[in-house]
Amino acid sequence: MTLGPFLFLAPWALIGLIALPIIWWLLRATPPMPKEADLPSLRLLDGVEPREETPAQTPWWVLLLRLSAAALAMIGLAQPIYAPGADTRSADEGALLLIIDDGWQSAPRFNELVDAARAQLDTVDRDTPLHLMTTAPRSLPIDPALRSSRQEMNQRLAGLQPQAWRVDHSDALARLEASGLQPGRILWATSGLETGDTQAFADALVGLAPLSIYAAPPRSAFAITGLTADAKGALATLARASTDTEAAIYVSALSRDGTAIATAQANFEEGSLTGGARFEIPPAALTRAERFRITGAQGASTLWLWDSAARRQRVSLVSDGETAQPLLSDVHYVRRALAPFSVINEGTLGDVLSAEPDAIVLTDIGQIPPDEAAALTEWVEAGGALIRFAGPRLAAQGDKLTPVPLRRASRALGGALAWDEPQSLAPYAQSSPFFGLPVPEDATIRQQVLASPVPDIDRKTWARLEDGSPLVTAAPLGAGTLILYHTTAGPDWSDLPYSGVFVEMLRRSIAAGKGQRIDTEDGLYAPSLILDGYGLLEAPSDIAAPLKATDFLETSPSQTHPAGLYQGPAGARALNVAADYTPIPVTTWPAGATLLGDAETQSFPFAGLLLGLALILIAIDLFVALGTAGRLPRLGRQVATALIMIGLTGLVIPYEAIAQTDDTLSEEERILEAAFELHFGYVITGNAETDKRSREGMETLSLILAQRTSITPEMPHGLDLETAPLELYPLIYFAVPENAAPLSNTAISRLNTYIRTGGALLIDTRNGSSLGVDSDFSGLQALLEGLDAPALAPVPKDHVLTRSFYLLDEFQGRYANRRLWIEASTVTPGERRGDGVSGLFVGDADWASAWAGDERGRALYGVDGGILAREYALRFGINLVMHVLTGNYKEDQVHLPILLERLGEAPPEDNSPQFPTDEEQDNEPEE
Amino acid sequence: MSLPLPALRIEAETLAKSLPRLSAQTRASQAVHLGSAGRKRAGSGEDFWEYRRYAQEDDVARIDWRRSARGDTLFVRETELETARSFYMYADAHEGFNWTGNNSRATKADRARIIMMALANLLSREGERVGVLGSGQPAAFGKRALERLYRQIATPERNQLITPKHSGTVIIASDFYDPVATWQGRLAPIAAKCRDGILLAVADPVEIDFPFKGRTRFTRTGSTFQRILGRAETLQADYSEKLSENRDAMAALAANLGWRFITHSTGDTNLNGGSLLRQTLLELGHKT
Repeated sequence: MTLGPFLFLAPWALIGLIALPIIWWLLRATPPMPKEADLPSLRLLDGVEPREETPAQTPWWVLLLRLSAAALAMIGLAQPIYAPGADTRSADEGALLLIIDDGWQSAPRFNELVDAARAQLDTVDRDTPLHLMTTAPRSLPIDPALRSSRQEMNQRLAGLQPQAWRVDHSDALARLEASGLQPGRILWATSGLETGDTQAFADALVGLAPLSIYAAPPRSAFAITGLTADAKGALATLARASTDTEAAIYVSALSRDGTAIATAQANFEEGSLTGGARFEIPPAALTRAERFRITGAQGASTLWLWDSAARRQRVSLVSDGETAQPLLSDVHYVRRALAPFSVINEGTLGDVLSAEPDAIVLTDIGQIPPDEAAALTEWVEAGGALIRFAGPRLAAQGDKLTPVPLRRASRALGGALAWDEPQSLAPYAQSSPFFGLPVPEDATIRQQVLASPVPDIDRKTWARLEDGSPLVTAAPLGAGTLILYHTTAGPDWSDLPYSGVFVEMLRRSIAAGKGQRIDTEDGLYAPSLILDGYGLLEAPSDIAAPLKATDFLETSPSQTHPAGLYQGPAGARALNVAADYTPIPVTTWPAGATLLGDAETQSFPFAGLLLGLALILIAIDLFVALGTAGRLPRLGRQVATALIMIGLTGLVIPYEAIAQTDDTLSEEERILEAAFELHFGYVITGNAETDKRSREGMETLSLILAQRTSITPEMPHGLDLETAPLELYPLIYFAVPENAAPLSNTAISRLNTYIRTGGALLIDTRNGSSLGVDSDFSGLQALLEGLDAPALAPVPKDHVLTRSFYLLDEFQGRYANRRLWIEASTVTPGERRGDGVSGLFVGDADWASAWAGDERGRALYGVDGGILAREYALRFGINLVMHVLTGNYKEDQVHLPILLERLGEAPPEDNSPQFPTDEEQDNEPEE
Repeated sequence: MSLPLPALRIEAETLAKSLPRLSAQTRASQAVHLGSAGRKRAGSGEDFWEYRRYAQEDDVARIDWRRSARGDTLFVRETELETARSFYMYADAHEGFNWTGNNSRATKADRARIIMMALANLLSREGERVGVLGSGQPAAFGKRALERLYRQIATPERNQLITPKHSGTVIIASDFYDPVATWQGRLAPIAAKCRDGILLAVADPVEIDFPFKGRTRFTRTGSTFQRILGRAETLQADYSEKLSENRDAMAALAANLGWRFITHSTGDTNLNGGSLLRQTLLELGHKT
């Protein structure tokens, strides 16, 4: 039943409204609860009959309250639905056909499309036949002739998902006509973007039946249509469906594991549907980017996969040290050729190997020293591409690291004594990675090194001269590739470096590095990761078929060739959804169609709301009844208190939430800060009190350090063990809260790495108040399960920690006389790593609380032993930081007596080194 | 509910100070024979009044031989007449009397006690005997008697409507809501012994005005009785009528007994009640 914009699913419940007058009469007749009164003089009225027992009237507002509760409950039971889009034109229509565009353009607002269809369901009778059709072509399309009940249709609609390919309206129309369905009414939920034959489709639908169109074009930028990278960064081109987008749009560059490397804001010209987001990030960082995503948008088109063909690779150039004529040096040509699309570093072979590049270019290096050759071989076998250029030195004395054995001489072409003319390149073989590149007509090769004829030389040849002699040869070595250009990288031997093809050849050569080695035997690209309609990466389905390399550029995504990453001979290639897409919003719809607005496609069921309101009214009525009966005043104050408490809580909670997020820098800013300045870290445990103390303690310690020593740390950073870059912090303070949950595996393994790589972790169980033992580490075992803790021992009396700045006897914290445990020192000093600094300090004296001070340096928390003890605690902190930062530097003083003796001076009488101690000269520590 | 004794005492003494003395100089006070002052005539007393000639009817033992030996005439020694009247106070011990319609007001019983204590103070200063009816102790002179009265009148158990052993003036404070016949039964024996009496009816304003409206369940303090009135306001006229009937009947009863009936509302001040009771006491003397 419909009533204005309201629909009632159970209209018979409305009959209950007839009962309202009866309820009204009953309520009037029912006396309210009597008031209580105490009256001794009532005795006087003994025997007096009351004149009129007619009850007083129920107050009108109580009556109103109860009647509204009853009415609300009845209307609620009738299950009303607000559906302004309900089409009442043809109540006697036949089948309702729902057509939903489920191409990638629909993805941003797909839920709204489905909701529009669902709202339409509410507007028809229960028995109306329902049909569904989607327009993105599929191998097993939904049959529009399939009739569904309402419940089935709801389930089918819930199961719909946008596809990662485009809709095909002519195909859909053909299917609709083939099904022979004669709908009485059609709802078409579309993205409102032209897909080539959209108009024709709309016209055909209007001819078929009364048509309602709900067009939901994406609100904001919805597609990355291209991506270009250069030496300064990258530019992502974007498309949007309307020009009145106001919200800022951001595009993020994501690394392989999905972490954002950089984010750029998109700029759209006024009135233009396309725009771009410019990433100004260093090429080295850009090479880590594998995907680009429009932040906060959903849909396959919001994700741009960047394949290895486009990605910048890291290339190392090994220079021969000759810089007298830089413009003539071979390295210069390679550098200029690679600079736009790769990250280049240069150096000696040892230097570049440690940088782990994707490819290494050696220009005319004859003999590689044996140890470096071994390292180089190892690197190539791990997947690197070693690209070598010939030259006089290689020709004179080559080594084994070439794809083919070389003859010990170079061949000069076109010289005065030579028969042959300078040669140009022959067309590339089909199996060559260079296949597809143009053959430079004007580049001639004047001199080259020659390969010894070996049986498989053909297979190893990527490019050859017109006379058939190999110019570029390659051979796999382990997982990597050796590539040799049989001529120089400079113009000495050939014109090739002048040619544009040289750049492309180099690019394809370095693409062979790091597992993306070109395999000449297979020209097919098999899908390795595909995009679903929402832009999430998933494993390819069975339907996804491999794609020929030659078809790659012409293919637009479909079900058989879904958008995604394809792995093939030349590495991974990406098939992107919206490559080179230009959005064209549909502005003119057929005259016969009804265009539904956003509001008309929504339906809102009221039943729950109304029933809830009815319950609230009944609850209020209960209080009113209690109030008239005089039972409430005693409650009054408590209720008011409770309400005030609730109100205050409501006020306080958001405030705290804001306060917590207030002072946090962005993660990037923190990393930069930590990298450039000295910061200490403390572990954020999630226990607010513990974290607060840690922060206060470390802040005060940092201040005191800056005042008293040459260490000037910045304010400490709170660290999340699972995400923060621990390696940037020389000392991390970890106050263990009571009953802490065990750390996650990630956190433990990161802590392990941190300790192993020379970090210092101070673990403080803060249990120092427990008596009877001198260290209490209860609970620590469970918390740090899996921490690769070395053997621990109490700090020896003569440990450098006791004199790295101040001379100390004990390690005072908030609690006195507690013991500090460090890594047990190994027998021979030489084996100690990290300059003898323990990676782990474990104690329970609650140092942070002892350190914590206000802005004037006064203690925030009480310390065992008062002000003096706090001073000693701070001195311990300074000693610890000194020890962590300077290692065993002060330990050398142990040898002072011996050194003095050697210098011919008598050792001090008391046989111990004489330092100016701070005990004697207050605040003048030895430095 | 009821005030503690110290509070009552402070209230009472404040009230006593603000009331004028029950002066013996007044005509009325003389008539009443207030105080133990000499009555300026022969009678039973301590002090010498006069020698007079022996008369036939005099007892031989009364002849003052020392005086008579000076001459031939027999003299009888007369002492000056001294009288002190007894006042017995009574505050109703019924729970319903110890009630107030509004917690900011004193209960009826407290108000009655304050007024009676103040008056006892005045009387005691004039040298009269005061005591509590039913306390088992006779009325007495002096400060200690007054203190005793203070204590006893604030103790409901010591207030009992029984006939005192010696005659005196009785002051009975209650709300008198019980039927008049009941009161007649209670008061008649006392009236037989005591010629003078005052009935002080104390009522709460709520009991006078009956300001109830709507559906009300009434209970009576001190009994489990309850009564629901659908529309209390309809009974207000009936109630007022019943109340005035009760007051009239009590006044008539008092007149029959030769006593006075006065009413006081706790809505009025202490001073109001105190001066009313004092006035009535003076008038009582006047009547005599």
